[in-house]
Amino acid sequence: MIDSIKLSISSDIENMAEYMGVIRLTTSAISNKIGLNIDDIDDIKVSIGEACTNIIKHGIVGKKGDIDINYSLYPDRLTISVKDKGNGFDIKDIKEPNIEELNESGLGIFIIKSLMDQVDIISTEDGTEIKMTKIKNY
Amino acid sequence: MGLEVLKNFDENNNYWLVKPVGDVDVYTSTEFKKILLDLIDEKVVDIYIDGEMLEYIDSTGLGVLISILKQLKEHDKKIIISDIKPSIKRLFELTSLNKVIVIKE
Repeated sequence: MIDSIKLSISSDIENMAEYMGVIRLTTSAISNKIGLNIDDIDDIKVSIGEACTNIIKHGIVGKKGDIDINYSLYPDRLTISVKDKGNGFDIKDIKEPNIEELNESGLGIFIIKSLMDQVDIISTEDGTEIKMTKIKNY
Repeated sequence: MGLEVLKNFDENNNYWLVKPVGDVDVYTSTEFKKILLDLIDEKVVDIYIDGEMLEYIDSTGLGVLISILKQLKEHDKKIIISDIKPSIKRLFELTSLNKVIVIKE
């Protein structure tokens, strides 16, 4: 690993969503720094957006919430860890969406898993961590 | 950042023409949903989304489209979306939303 960057957001639950733009822009700047191409940066931007949206929708207990993002920059890959302090969820409950049924939810994790090269989700009663990696293979 | 939604009724084609400018994400999707719901409350016809200025859409935004589509389908109406960026088109394909929403180049 060459460098790491931490981004920590602490806010009232109703204001948290306002920071999504900031998170996406920061993530795209960091991805750009290690030389990932536009397509990969778009994938990462969508994935970080989904991970944080997941926290805003499910991972905040009470009025105030935290999102902790940790970027690990390697010459050939970017690993992003996104953590909340919510109640966690059962990973087994994540299903592949069936669009014909027109379900409005359950797309987020599926999108992350499709767009990133490696995804690990660790969820306990103290919170959830989504760790995702994009490999630069060029 | 943020979202502005231009909308008007196209009498020639008998559909709502909707042009989202900006991001449809967890911050703006509630407002986006309300705008679309108000339109179909006024008149249940097809919704044509001009996606030229749509910068970003996430799963909550896709969720809004699914929810509106569900209501439109009851009246045999549909959602058409055009001129979307390649990254957004990919998201539609990934989630198979392209099977239920008409995508025009």
